Amino acid sequence: MSLLATDAIVLHAFDYRETSRILRLATREAGVQSVIARGARRAKGGPGAGLDLFTSGRAQWMVRPGRDLHTLITFDATHARSALAADLGRFHGAAALAELLLRFTPEDAADTVFAALERSLDALVIADRASVEAEAIAACWALIGELGFAPALEHCAACQAELSPDDDLIFHHRAGGALCARCARATPGGRILPAAARAVLIAWRDGERPVLPDATHAKAHRRLLREFLQEHLEDGRPLRAFRAWDAR
Amino acid sequence: MGAIDELVTELARLPTIGRKSAMRLTYHLLKQPTEQSRRLAAALTTLVETVRPCARCFNLTESELCAICSDPRRDAAIICVVEEASDIPAIERAAEFRGTYHVLGGRLAPIDGVGPEELTVGALVARVAAGGVGEVIVATNPKLEGEATALYLQEQLAGHPVRVTRLARGLPMGGDLEYADGGTIAQALSARRVMG
Ligand SMILES: [Zn+2]
Ligand SMILES: [Zn+2]
Repeated sequence: MSLLATDAIVLHAFDYRETSRILRLATREAGVQSVIARGARRAKGGPGAGLDLFTSGRAQWMVRPGRDLHTLITFDATHARSALAADLGRFHGAAALAELLLRFTPEDAADTVFAALERSLDALVIADRASVEAEAIAACWALIGELGFAPALEHCAACQAELSPDDDLIFHHRAGGALCARCARATPGGRILPAAARAVLIAWRDGERPVLPDATHAKAHRRLLREFLQEHLEDGRPLRAFRAWDAR
Repeated sequence: MGAIDELVTELARLPTIGRKSAMRLTYHLLKQPTEQSRRLAAALTTLVETVRPCARCFNLTESELCAICSDPRRDAAIICVVEEASDIPAIERAAEFRGTYHVLGGRLAPIDGVGPEELTVGALVARVAAGGVGEVIVATNPKLEGEATALYLQEQLAGHPVRVTRLARGLPMGGDLEYADGGTIAQALSARRVMG
């Protein structure tokens, strides 16, 4: 057994037995980890008591080789993000980010994934109301980039031919992004991606934050994102937070 | 599976009971007078067959309406919305509240697949739409998901002539209503604020 200390963010929490909680944490050093906070629901509390979703802090637990569930020793919260419940757009966006990490983070995830999550949540906290939606969708694509499966946008996902920025193209989830006209004919399925929407995706990837013109555009972008992720899941279980976000 | 194993397995599913305790309980039940075990079995059967959600507020009851909904001294114009039926005793302990309740059956939790359809939001809106309700106090837990649920309820009730209020903060941070003491709840109730 050895002690592990790491920066962590609470992604998910659920009650376990009478007095404990299980926390799923994004960590800087060790990808996504599950820890049990024993006694966290007792009146006098225990490590991890009162911890809310999306709280940042310093966590310590004992690592037992071969075990998936570690016992939390301390969680010193440094930064709560209760403002993520200031409106439902922020709340659903943050939940989608958490689900994305829970479902796609590999065990050996780079610390840049954690840094991107931290940045995204903070941006979502301070975003003005009109840009919350774009901020959240852009943050998801940024994390997808950090996780290493960003879609092809400027070159054909199949033949790597350069794509004109003015063309409406086919976006093919399984092929991994936009396709040139020739490859699109040879690859059934996919969805039309207008040139303007592709420009927005490229701008987001490059860290810019164009605001979406209206709710219809936001909805189309959310759908594209959800379908892309669903296609890349290995287990095929539904992405529930994304579905709830979409249903807004 | 034999009868002993079956009971041990069922008991071990209960909170705080591990397999060892389940075994001990099972042997204890076998040793005690048969009549006593029969009474336990009958009590369990009665429990699952007669306790159900109140037709109006979803509190637990053995009748059509729960004790609170059928009490004429309770003010039906005020509805206090809670996440779980187990939150009601905590508020009742505060002895401050003379209105009625509405049990949501949880809180919005997107990752757990809990959306508005999984909760009794529709029934709450229908209660308000039926008229005679002046105030809805949202007493969901003071956590992110509880706050988001409160916002959602406010949104859903916006078109109705009803005051939507939220418990004042002051409950233990991130704490569950269920564990708060009566004084704290009484204070949070009397200092409630209008949402929006
Ligand atoms: Zn091509
Ligand atoms: Zn009732």
